[in-house]
Formats: sequence, structure tokens, C-alpha cells
Amino acid sequence: MNYVQVCEGTYATVYKGRSRTTNEIVALKEIHLDAEEGTPSTAIREISLMKELKHVNIVRLYDVIHTETKLVLIFEYCERDLKKYMDLHGERGALDPTTVRSFMYQLLKGTAFCHENRVLHRDLKPQNLLINRKGELKLGDFGLARAFGVPVNTFSNEVVTLWYRAPDVLLGSRTYSTSIDVWSCGCIFAEMISGVPLFRGRDNQDQLLHIMRIIGTPSETLIRRITSESGDAAAAQKQYPRYPKMPFTSILPKASLQAIDLLERLLQFDPLKRISAAEALNHPYFTAQGQLPYPVPAPGSMAPPNFNFPHPHQQSSQQQAAAQQQQQQQQQQQQQQAQAHAAYLAQQQNMQPGVYPANSQAPPQGVVPQQQYMQQYQYSGGSR
Amino acid sequence: MSTSLYPLASLQQIERTPSHEDGIPADLEEDLRAFGCKLIHQAGVLLKQKQVAVATAQILFQRFWFVTSVKQFGIGDVGMGALYLASKLEECPIRMRDLINVYDLLLQRTSDTLASRTSHTPRPEFKYVPMSYFGNTFYELKDSLVVAEMQILKRLGFQVHVVLPYNTLVNYLRVLGLTSREEVCERAWGYLNDALQTPVYALYPVPTIVCATILLTTRFLGIPLPSQPSNCWWELFDADWEDIWSVCGYIMRLYRTRTTIEENRVFGLVSKKGVRQWLEDQHESSSMAR
Repeated sequence: MNYVQVCEGTYATVYKGRSRTTNEIVALKEIHLDAEEGTPSTAIREISLMKELKHVNIVRLYDVIHTETKLVLIFEYCERDLKKYMDLHGERGALDPTTVRSFMYQLLKGTAFCHENRVLHRDLKPQNLLINRKGELKLGDFGLARAFGVPVNTFSNEVVTLWYRAPDVLLGSRTYSTSIDVWSCGCIFAEMISGVPLFRGRDNQDQLLHIMRIIGTPSETLIRRITSESGDAAAAQKQYPRYPKMPFTSILPKASLQAIDLLERLLQFDPLKRISAAEALNHPYFTAQGQLPYPVPAPGSMAPPNFNFPHPHQQSSQQQAAAQQQQQQQQQQQQQQAQAHAAYLAQQQNMQPGVYPANSQAPPQGVVPQQQYMQQYQYSGGSR
Repeated sequence: MSTSLYPLASLQQIERTPSHEDGIPADLEEDLRAFGCKLIHQAGVLLKQKQVAVATAQILFQRFWFVTSVKQFGIGDVGMGALYLASKLEECPIRMRDLINVYDLLLQRTSDTLASRTSHTPRPEFKYVPMSYFGNTFYELKDSLVVAEMQILKRLGFQVHVVLPYNTLVNYLRVLGLTSREEVCERAWGYLNDALQTPVYALYPVPTIVCATILLTTRFLGIPLPSQPSNCWWELFDADWEDIWSVCGYIMRLYRTRTTIEENRVFGLVSKKGVRQWLEDQHESSSMAR
């Protein structure tokens, strides 16, 4: 693997490299293992969640190399992040409406896929959205992401970079769900249209005021409802200045009416009223105009997969022609297949020692004779 | 491929666990797993850690022994690593030093209990001796903690997603109209927690385990539920009778009284060193017999 350093982040260094086996360009994220805190939790989250998420609009995690002192994550390579893309291609940061629509569609598509698979990204911002040469947008950096179950768990509220943080999280909510990613999508949408971040607060409180100055101060009852979930008494007592709602048309004069309407629905103060990512994809902003906002692959560019084994019909025709010969062949084939299979298994085992299949849900019957259980049970039950 | 899918051990992994392959008898492995989980639980209580993290740690701990033998890693170290990892996963991280201190206490107490049982002269009551500030104990335990955490991640292939059973129990009890009876809820909840000391969470899906705890509870309290074929309450929750019965067996086996010899054997095998020594002794005595 030949590589050059690309950038150095807070906990990792990223290199660009070329895979010797596939000749593909990949990004290598090298994480040093710290003796003070063991494996960083960001790395644990990133690997355990991204391994499962395979989608065009999510950066693919190809492999993980785990050594004593460091952890190397091998990702699909993307040219640049959305922030840099906007600086480079935008007009003072603002992108043209067609690009905005394409990126927004892909952003929502990737987000909806995460939510469908019960993963919250929790840190959507232009720096974490990667754009490749084909103009595909991909969600990256799942260092703050987490899987969610029934929404009664309390989560950390130290999530999402301040400017993209939802108001309910700013008010201390710990029972948030998919709606926090939708808020971030709305902020990014406005930023792509205008070229500048929509809400630029200095701290938690200032950020809330920035939001209220634009979308208006919500009703007292709504604030009470959100703060009552947080259990933060100080936040519940706080009084907020009463700002009227500013129309988005005055803030984003360039945006179309449909874009404004979608933005309205994404940036709802009340998390329960916020549109879901999947619903947003069906918004007229995307569906009204005839053409597809998403680049359709050119005809012939999607080659069918290679099949390594003979087709069953070919086998049957051979059978008619020369049964004996075929039998021999078949035996040979079986042997070869068995060998190949064994080699494949061995390879798999080498690559991921001890990983057990995610779908091995089959009940392990017949492990211990059932009678034994019954005896055990009766015996133990009697002794109680 | 949804992340709500959690890994379960394969048939082959259950029939031939790595410890079994190394010559550890099945009953001993079961006792070692249970004791490791007990240590995790005790450490969790002492650290005032949230139950979600403690339960997650115990489940990861149980999964680990389907890919690794107790000869390679001690149940003490792995338990410590599992609790540290689970605390990160559940977003309530703990300090390494606190965890190490707590485990040091628990391990000292275990070896003291063992020593007082096997020695013939009476010994003074157990008193914890804190590790010296510049001593090696801390650094040794810290190294094993970091290694254990990394090994759990590596050997489980970073599949650390765990689904806890508590929500499901509440739902099922509601459906069965049993939530108003406190003793039912308490007992079933207790069985769920006790089951964390058995491998069932690495073997069966959550609904099956929850049904087993409800079955044990209702049988113990003599509460009738529809159980005639074509009208069985557990079918409502997609659980098979054979599986439920098997889970009940695991849980009831946990409660059997162990002899002092059995208990002492487990106390002496908390570290991999102890396990290796024990295996050598077994090997010697069997070759002598021949």
C-alpha cells in the first residue's frame, strides 16, 4: 500500500492510499491506541455501526486493521468534504440550485437509510459530508453515532457540533431520536443555498437565541414540554425573549418556494412536528420537476456480477451428451469447489477471527438432549 | 442487516466451545462464566454504574467465551474489560483507576476466601490492602484491562450491539395483564437479571428468554395461563416451547447448590494462570492413573 498523508484530525490521521489487490484508491484513517483510555469510543462506534451500513450515500468502511498500538480503518476515498466543495465551486459559498437539490436528495437518502437501520448519526455538518469526483455525496465520520432502540433510553446531550444542534438538544433533551439529524439536514440545506451557516451561536444559550431570532420563539408550553423531559430545573425556569418568526424568503431570497417549504418542515422547533428524512424525500421540491435529481448511472456502466460456477442448465445438457464423462467432471468440480470453499473459509477465518454470523438466529436445538433439561428442571424445582 | 439484529452463537460454537476444546469440562466452564458475571455485577454495584452498562458487559462477556478459551484469558481480566467497554458503549464511561481498584478488591477478597477455606489454621477476617501507589499491581491490571477490551472488540469483530430484555418484559407482562401483580413483575425481572449469569443471551433471542422468565414466574406463583396446544400464550410472542424450556434449564441450573470443592475450584481459576495450572494438574493425574 502506497500512501500520502491527507490530514490530521483530533484523534486520527488520514492517509490516501492505493490498494494493491484492487488498485482502488482508499482513505486510511489511523487511530493511535491510547494507554490512558483504551480503544477510543469514537472508533468503537464508527466501526461497529459503519460495518453494517452499506449504501451509496454512506462512506463505505472496507476493512479494519487492528494491531497492538494502532487501529487503521480503510474507507472508500472521496475527493473533498462539502465545506471545501462549497468554497471551491460555490459563488461565495452558495451552490447553484441544481447541485443543492442533488446534494440535498443524497443527504436525505443517506440519513433515511441510517434511520431505517436504527442508527443516529448525531454529527451531520458540511465537514462530515464527503463528495467524490462523480458528484456523489456520502455521509462520513460516524464517531458520534449510536444505535437506538425503543426511544426511552437517555443519551448524552453533548452531541452534534453547536451550529447544527437541534433546539430540543440545546434545551437539554436526552430522549431525542431521528429528528436531531433532520434538524442538521435543514441547517446544511440553508447553508448550501446561501453559502453561510444559518445559525452561528457562540455557546449553547446563544445558539438557542440565534434559532429563536429566525424561526421565532415557540410557545411557553412547548418549551415546558421539552425541558420537562430533560430533568434540568434551571433550563425549565429560564425566560426567553419573544421573537416573531422571520420568513425564510427574506433570509434566503434566492431559494424557490418549494425549497422554502421543505426547509420550513425540516427546521421545526418541535421535534415531533419535524418531517422525517424518508418523508422529506417525497417532498414536491424533489418530485415536482420532471427530471430526477439524482445522477442516474449511464447505460452499461453497471456490469452484471461475475459468476464463477457453471450454470445448472449447462450441466444438464452435458449429462445428456456423455453421462460418464460428466460424472467424472462433476466429481472433479465438486472437489475443486470443496477446495475453493475450504480456502475461502480459511481466508475468512484469517481475516476476521471469531466473528460469528449476524444472522445465526436459528435456535440451537439438539445441543443438549431435551430430557436432560427436564430432569435438571424437575430436580432443581424439587429442591427449592 | 439492521443493527437491531444482534449476534448469537452458532451451533458449532455451542457444541464445541473453545474452552471445551482445551479440556475444560462443561460444568466448570458454566461455573466460571457465572462467577465472572458475578464479579462484573459486584463491580458495577460498587462503582454505582447503571444497570444497562452492567447487563451489556455481562452479555459481551458471555459472547466472548464462544470465541475464546478461558485458558487464553482470565475471567477476571475479561470481565473488567467488558465492563469498561460496555460503559463506553452505553455512554456512561468510568475511570480506569476506579474500575481497577474495585477489581483489585474483588480479586483479593476471592483469594482470601479461598485461602481461609483451604488453610487449617484460623485466619483473621478479610481486610482489603490498597495497592501501593508506585507498585506494579496497578500497571499490570491496567495493561490487562486495555488488552482485554481490545481482544473483546477484535474477537467479536466489533459486533458489540446488545439488545436488553427489560422493555420486552414490560410489554409482555402488559399483554398478559400481569403488571398489576407486583410479585410477578419483581420475580420475572429478577430472573432476567439472574439469566445474565448464564450464556442464554448469547444463545437465544430476547423474546424467548423473556418468555422463559415469565414461565418460571407463573409456575412458581401458581398463576394459570392458557397453555393448551393451539392456544399457548408463548406462541403469541414467537417463542418455541423447546427453547423456552432450555432457557429455564439454564436459569434453574444456576441456582443449584454447589459443593465447597466446586466453589473453591472456581475461586482458584479466576486468572488464566490458575486455569493453565489446573489443566496441567489434570493432565498429570490422568497420566499417572494410566
